[in-house]
Amino acid sequence: MSSRRSSFRRREKPAFERFKDHCRHFTAFMFSNVGIILLVTFYIIGGAFIFQSIEIFEYERLKSEKPHRFIARNFSGECLSRIWELTAENISFFDHHAYRRRVNDVLLDYQRAIVKKQLKGPDVEQWSFSGAFLYSLTVITTIGYGNITPHSECGKLVTILYAIIGMPLFLLYLSNIGDVLAKSFKWIYSKVCLCRICPGVAKRRIIRERRKMRQLARALQMHDMENARGSSSYTSTSSTTSSNSSSSEYTRSSRQSSSLVDIQYTESDSDIEREIRGSTDEITVPVTVCVFVMVGYILWGALLFGRWEDWNYLDGSYFCLISLSSIGFGDLVPGDRVITADRDKVEVSFILCAIYLLLGMAVIAMCFNLMQEQVVHNIRAIKRGFKACFRCRTS
Amino acid sequence: MASKFQRKPSPGGTVGMGGGPSSVSSTPSNQPRKRVKRCCRNFVTFMCTQVGVGALIVIYAICGAFAFMHIERQFVDETAGHVMELRQNCSQQLWSITEQHNIIDRRRWTEATNDVLREYQSQIAGVVKHGYVGRSPEQIWSFPAALMFCLSVITMIGYGNMVPRTPWGKGFTVIYATFGIPLYILYFLNMGRVLARSFKFLYRSLHDCTQEHPRLDRMDALEGGVGMTRKKVIVPSTACLWVIFFYVLTGTVMFANWEKWSLLNSFYFCMTSLCKIGFGDFVPGASLTTSADVNAATQKLQEDISADPAELAQLQSVAADQHSKLAINFVYMLLGMGLVAMCRNLMREEVRLKAREMREDAKLCMEDTRLRFVGCCGNPRDAYEDDYY
Repeated sequence: MSSRRSSFRRREKPAFERFKDHCRHFTAFMFSNVGIILLVTFYIIGGAFIFQSIEIFEYERLKSEKPHRFIARNFSGECLSRIWELTAENISFFDHHAYRRRVNDVLLDYQRAIVKKQLKGPDVEQWSFSGAFLYSLTVITTIGYGNITPHSECGKLVTILYAIIGMPLFLLYLSNIGDVLAKSFKWIYSKVCLCRICPGVAKRRIIRERRKMRQLARALQMHDMENARGSSSYTSTSSTTSSNSSSSEYTRSSRQSSSLVDIQYTESDSDIEREIRGSTDEITVPVTVCVFVMVGYILWGALLFGRWEDWNYLDGSYFCLISLSSIGFGDLVPGDRVITADRDKVEVSFILCAIYLLLGMAVIAMCFNLMQEQVVHNIRAIKRGFKACFRCRTS
Repeated sequence: MASKFQRKPSPGGTVGMGGGPSSVSSTPSNQPRKRVKRCCRNFVTFMCTQVGVGALIVIYAICGAFAFMHIERQFVDETAGHVMELRQNCSQQLWSITEQHNIIDRRRWTEATNDVLREYQSQIAGVVKHGYVGRSPEQIWSFPAALMFCLSVITMIGYGNMVPRTPWGKGFTVIYATFGIPLYILYFLNMGRVLARSFKFLYRSLHDCTQEHPRLDRMDALEGGVGMTRKKVIVPSTACLWVIFFYVLTGTVMFANWEKWSLLNSFYFCMTSLCKIGFGDFVPGASLTTSADVNAATQKLQEDISADPAELAQLQSVAADQHSKLAINFVYMLLGMGLVAMCRNLMREEVRLKAREMREDAKLCMEDTRLRFVGCCGNPRDAYEDDYY
């Protein structure tokens, strides 16, 4: 009956149905993964345009409304006039050390003015398309370098809304791409691991047969013990339960013996392939491999940024780790040196940095997924061992 | 028959105990003892997990603060000496210009001095771009500031207002982040779960108070009661959003009062911090006055008679007040993160439930469509089925 039903179901699905299923899976894959990537990309580019227009518009508005703010104080002129007054005062006696000390004080004030202006100065030149693009990327990924920040109120409000909408989108991207990368990496790892397993298939089979023989022996022993208990008991209820258990044991032992005979007879290639597939599905990637992948990616990024930005090797590693863990101090930011140099190189540098960060975050999400699976697997094994130990203690 | 007879007393007895022969054999005197034991076990588990993890994070942050203070204060700030050399060079050049050109010839003197000043300005600008802030490492890396730095590393906010500059500092930051972030994630998940459970309990209590009258009317229908109990457990998203909004509003008012920011800037800071973006343009630690600043002001007072003693006294009182503010800020950040995790858990539950309902609806719709399709052209299928049978 069951075999007839299975054959009927297999006949029910012709090639057309299979083709339709494959098309459905492919469409779902395209819409879920590639669609999300495109959505994130368009969201970042749209955000870049919005922030750029907002900040430039705000700057122009302030410039037109309050022109006196943007006329920078002539610090150098003031310093020059003060030094001239000092020089004029010292016409009568040429005291070298006193003159230098007073000039030093004037220069110190001048230096402080320069430092303040340098630290607090709002630069609209930063809000080029590349800068706005990097800013949008850092908002969504919660890195937040802080080298570019909105100074207008409208910019700040739009940043808040942009973050609230963009962060769930980015989390969705991370989870989907992380899953896809985890499956791909697991498949690659199983293929690599499979080459080692091929000679050991026969050993595995022998071990399995031995295990089943042991289980059969244990079942027989338990059956004998329960028979002894049944004979020793006097109440009718216990005898009925023991008889039920003994009958179930008989059926189990008969099934196991029949399955053993079946295993001995069927040794075709299809069974071997099924076993291999099952073993590959159950493989869990160890934690060391995940850590190795993460460290390798960070070092690779260090090499890349060292070449692009002329950074130290330690600085490159430091930047990659700080960025990928989404801390993002902002002391080292790609493009800082390139902003003042050339406009064309800025695009390439920022785009490559953006691709590195997006892909890197997905890689880290993949590694965390695999580590989580490994940890869950280990916890289950520990729990099973603890349960077995608990049973031994109770019995 | 025998199994039914055995199962009947179990609902009459303790609900939590598993049904079986062992429960029947146990005497009633053991039940309160087991209950007390279970309560003790739950309490110990709670203490070990929640308070333990929280204390572990605090200790980790404090140890990290001391380590960073020790490492970064050994940083010999070469830029300060460099700036001093630049200033000495500039004054020397000015003196040589004064010697070279006679004072009577002002135009030539002005041109030469202007060139020197412009060169000096560009040099200072370059030094500032490379990270010179005009304060010594001992002033920058005080204990409150270092603690804030460690918090920003662990929580992945990363303000960036102060960063390690020595190679040892950078390496230690990498290691500190590697071990601190998983610890923070553990705290985040645990605190989120506990707060979600507490909030759900609170919401259920409020819901029961509100729904008291209709419940009495519906007491007769058991099925309705079961449905109501199921519906009450799910907390809606609007409640979570309101909680987050009120928390952010509280933080906005608090920081606006302390740091003298505008309301928009304070709100902006709270949002960027709780979302872990952390630009660093607004940092509560930036206005922290340290003991090093007090010492510097004291030296300045001794050197220059014209300095104001009242300013020094005010500076000392402000420095004493910083620690309590910093502690409250620390608690605000950690609790805010836990609250965000709580809301995330509750929203995820609701989204999962709605997704399940949507899936069931889609399944019913698909089945209905399939039945209609079969009803329209059922002849080949019937023939195929006849052939099968």
